[in-house]
Amino acid sequence: MAITRVVPALIQVANNVTSTTIGNTTSIPSLTFDASGVIIAASNTTVTVSNTNITGTITNSQLGTGAVSNTKIASGAVEQYFADIGYNTQFRNRIINGDMRIDQRNAGASVTPPANTVYYTTDRWKYYLTQSSKLTAQQNAGSVTPPTGFTNYLGTTSSSAYSVISSDIFTVYHAVEGYNVADFGWGSANASTITISFWVRSSLTGTHSGAIQNSANNRSYVFTLTVNSANTWEYKTVTIAGDTSGTWLTTNGIGLSLYFNLGSGSTYSTTADSWQAGNFIAATGATSVVGTNGATFYITGVQLEVGSVATPFERRPFGTELMLCQRYYWKNIPGASGVNLTLGICVTNQVRSTVWYPTIMRSAPTFSISSLVADDEQSALYTLSIAATGAGTQTARLAFTATGAVVGRPAVVQTNASTSFLDASAEL
Amino acid sequence: MYKLSEPNRIGVITSVLRLSDGACIPFDPDNTDYQKYLKWLAEGNEPEPADEA
Repeated sequence: MAITRVVPALIQVANNVTSTTIGNTTSIPSLTFDASGVIIAASNTTVTVSNTNITGTITNSQLGTGAVSNTKIASGAVEQYFADIGYNTQFRNRIINGDMRIDQRNAGASVTPPANTVYYTTDRWKYYLTQSSKLTAQQNAGSVTPPTGFTNYLGTTSSSAYSVISSDIFTVYHAVEGYNVADFGWGSANASTITISFWVRSSLTGTHSGAIQNSANNRSYVFTLTVNSANTWEYKTVTIAGDTSGTWLTTNGIGLSLYFNLGSGSTYSTTADSWQAGNFIAATGATSVVGTNGATFYITGVQLEVGSVATPFERRPFGTELMLCQRYYWKNIPGASGVNLTLGICVTNQVRSTVWYPTIMRSAPTFSISSLVADDEQSALYTLSIAATGAGTQTARLAFTATGAVVGRPAVVQTNASTSFLDASAEL
Repeated sequence: MYKLSEPNRIGVITSVLRLSDGACIPFDPDNTDYQKYLKWLAEGNEPEPADEA
C-alpha cells in the first residue's frame, strides 16, 4: 500500500529494526531512517531542510565524485574564505626567485664568496661568511635532478672541514623589501602568522637551522629543519607567529631577512622556536655544513607567505620574475662584440649618455662596466671607464672616460667582447 | 678606497668611484654601497679628490 500522506510527528522506527524505509526506492519518493530516526537515505526526491541544523560529518563515501560543483557553492563563499585566512592568489610568495631560475650575475657558474662581504649568487640570494674559501655556491651545483616541478636550485658545497669559532657566520639568505611585507603588521599586536616552505637536499642528515630577522638584526626567530635522508630532496614547512615587538620596516629598506645557516658560532646561535631580542641565525647545536669537507646543502622552491598553511609554490612567468629581480639588479650582457647599449655625446675626453633601466629600481643604483667602448665612426674606438653618474631610480646620466674623444661628436656605447657588460645594483 | 667623481656641469659632485672595482656609486641614501661609503667616511677615512672636469 502506498503512503499518500505522512505526518512527521507520527514517524517512529521500531526499536527492534536497524532502519525503515518509507516509499518505494525505485519509482516513488522514499526516505530511509535509522533506528534513532535520522534520515540516512533518500531517493527520487529532494529533502528540504528548514529551520533546523544538520549535524554530523559528511564523509567521502557519502559524496559521489564531482558531486560538489560550482553551482552548489554560494557565490563568493570561496573568495571570502581565502580573504578570511589572508590567502592571496597573486604574489603570495614574498620571496623573489625562490625557485632559483634567475642567475644574472654568474649565469650558472660556480663562485667562491669572499669573507666579510655580502655576495650575491642567484638573483636576490646572497652569502655572508666570516672566513674565506670555506664553501662554493652555484646554481644547480652538482647537477642533481631538482624536485618535480623545478628546474633549478641553489647549491652550497663545503670546501673544507672547518670548525667554527664563536664569532663565525656562514649563511645563505634573502632580504625582502619592506614594501612587500608591509601587510604583515609585524611589530604590532596585529602581527600576521607566516609560513615558510622549501625543498632541501643535503648530504648531512640531522638538524639544520635558519632564522627570520628584522633589518636592524635585533629581532630573531630561529627555526630548525630536519634532514631525514642524505642526498634526497625533502619538502619542509615552518610556521611562525608574527613578531609583535621590534621595528620592522615597511619601506624600500629591508622588511625581513630569511637565513639558512651553514655553520655559525655560539655568538649567533640560540634556542629555536621563539622570538628573541638579538642577532641570531642558528639553532644551538645545529648541523654545520662547513664542518664537513664536500658536504652539500641545496635549496629551491622557497616560499614565504601569510597564514599557517604552506600553499603550493607560486608559479610566476619568467619575464615577471626577471623584472622583479631587476628592481634590485640588472645586467645588460649582450654576449657578443659590437652590440649597442646606448648613444652618447662626446665632450673632451668623455662620452656622456643616458641609461634607461628595465624597471624602476629600489634606489639609485651602483653602476659597473666591463669591456665597453665608444664608437664615433670617425676615430678609433674609445675604451671606456665610468667617470661619474647622476642616477635616479628610473634613469641615469653616465659619464664615461674616453681619452681622445672630440667635443660634439655623437658616439655609440657598445660591447667589445663576449664578456662585456653594463650592470646596475640597488640591492638591499 | 674611494675617489670622488668629477662634478657635473653645475659643479655638483653626485657620485663616488669605488677603486677596487671601478664601480660608480650615486649619492643616494637608500643605496647600500653609498651607506657603506658613509660608514667608511665616519671611520675617519677620506676619498681621493675628483679629477677636474
